Amino acid sequence: MLKNYLLIAWKVYTRRKLFTAINLLCITITLMVLLVVTALLQNAFYPTGVEGKSDRFLQVTTLVSLNKDGSSSRTSPLGYKVIEQYLRPMKSAQLVAAVTGIKTVSVYQDDRVTELQLRRADAGYWKILDFKVLDGRVPSAEDVALGRFVAVLNETSARKLFPGSKAVGQKLNVGGQKFEIIGVVEDVMQLNSYADIWAPISTDPSTEYRDQMSGEFSALLLAKSPADIPRMQAEVAQIAPQIKFDDPKEWNQAFMWADTKLDFFARGLLDNERAPNSGAAVLLTAIAVLMLMFMLLPALNLVNLNTGRIMERSTEIGVRKAFGASSGTLVLQFVAENVILCLVGGLLGLILAKGVLIWLENSGLIPYLKVDINFSVFFCGLIITVVFGLLSGVIPAWKMSRLHPVQALKGAA
Amino acid sequence: MIRLQNISKTYQTDKVETLALKDINLHVKKGEFLSIMGPSGCGKSTLLNLIGLLDQPGTGAISVDGMEVKSYRDKDVARLRNQTFGFIFQSFHLINDLQVIDNVELPLLYRSLPAAERRRRAKEALEKVGLGARMEHYPNQLSGGQQQRVAIARAMVGKPQVLLADEPTGNLDSQMGAEVMDHLVKLNQEGTTVVMVTHDEREAKRGSQIIRVFDGQLVA
Repeated sequence: MLKNYLLIAWKVYTRRKLFTAINLLCITITLMVLLVVTALLQNAFYPTGVEGKSDRFLQVTTLVSLNKDGSSSRTSPLGYKVIEQYLRPMKSAQLVAAVTGIKTVSVYQDDRVTELQLRRADAGYWKILDFKVLDGRVPSAEDVALGRFVAVLNETSARKLFPGSKAVGQKLNVGGQKFEIIGVVEDVMQLNSYADIWAPISTDPSTEYRDQMSGEFSALLLAKSPADIPRMQAEVAQIAPQIKFDDPKEWNQAFMWADTKLDFFARGLLDNERAPNSGAAVLLTAIAVLMLMFMLLPALNLVNLNTGRIMERSTEIGVRKAFGASSGTLVLQFVAENVILCLVGGLLGLILAKGVLIWLENSGLIPYLKVDINFSVFFCGLIITVVFGLLSGVIPAWKMSRLHPVQALKGAA
Repeated sequence: MIRLQNISKTYQTDKVETLALKDINLHVKKGEFLSIMGPSGCGKSTLLNLIGLLDQPGTGAISVDGMEVKSYRDKDVARLRNQTFGFIFQSFHLINDLQVIDNVELPLLYRSLPAAERRRRAKEALEKVGLGARMEHYPNQLSGGQQQRVAIARAMVGKPQVLLADEPTGNLDSQMGAEVMDHLVKLNQEGTTVVMVTHDEREAKRGSQIIRVFDGQLVA
């Protein structure tokens, strides 16, 4: 039966080439956009590449401080003291790492000044994140403890600063401090690993950061297994109320949360800094609704085109009914035809999406972006395609399957 | 075999109600060749559609093999149509996008039969109507008479008990019409009940019984 459906679908689509081309274009562009969005979302939230252990680690990025009556508040990145005093002793975490947010620094070479994005990190940072080291090594615990002026560059910056020569072993003046380049890592565009240059925390020009409750740090908490994530979240939620500020008259309550990447984005976008619930479910629902809405307009267009197409086949519907096809069978036939067309559109959309992603990577619009269409994106694309096929196919198919056989045979749909 | 009792059928178009059939009582017996005659618009085709369960009566009851068709549930009626009836239409109604063999196979798609068996039966049906060599042709590559023979093969492939033919020779010249009639008579002689709507008195007489419809009513 499926062969018969495929055969007739092929004939119908090749008979009306312009119609099929418009249909396919509509499906392909819609699915291409959705696949690009899916791939970008997957790159942001799914454990992959350098942040491949993100199903095992959480980030604590923000400390909300309140005064006694709650009339005054301050929201800032964590101070190093919070990490040292409250997060490092955590029982549920296997490893706690501290890293600053990115900061623009000037690098001086002869008469040339280059601006780079710098992060300072401890040794744990390099253990939690799986950087691909292209040359040399990453800072060790000893480098950090001894405050050695060593730095790691990413591939692009190494090429830019030392064209045609090896970066490892070279000296570099970063904001007035002299560093030795000890390693080169692959470019990364991910939440915790994006930067051009990395140096040990202990190379900070001042030691004041050690005593600050609010500062420029994030903590990465690594669990033994993904199953321990809720335990770490609960422990951080318990720790926050115990935080004691240096001046309790100014600040005496604190909020901080250990978030997954999705939680982190949701909390920031939905401004849920003081609530335990980050609003990730709301964010996911909003993304799903937006994607559905994006599909809805072309789907409605396809509904119209499909209704017209099926109406031309009312005699066929009449014949099939006369020879024993029930309405349900006909719905299946027409939906199957539409899903087949959508799958072809989905395949073309996948190829185009790959092209768009390559263009995005090369254009530099999003620095160091590396997005791949892997199996899970392909699987999501397949689901999106089938949903799109069903959305645009069910209504016309159902409408036409209800045709009275006598009317259908007269071609009076 | 098929009994129609007190059947009436009206069509509602805008504000006008048209009476298509009134108080029809008819018994189609197993193995007979019933010809339905009457002027255009008298309700012949409506009667044939009711017999073949393509349409529902306004009032009255239809029984098939002693079982009254009551609910007219889409699925049940579809199954009954598939297993009991074969249809032949005046304008053939073949699907031009499918090869002859696929057209003939169509009724079998709605039965649980393996593909090879469906194919075998479709070939057999086509050979019976002398079109074994045209299996891979498309309908528009055949003459009108050949197309109607394909339609006969399609109607007979599921070995239905009743063949319903709505002016089967209406679009054919006399020679092709005669060939088609020969096939119908042969099928009837082999045991298939045939109900045929026709305008042609000579063709009607090749059947075993003639009924006449006038203004929606059976006349003697």
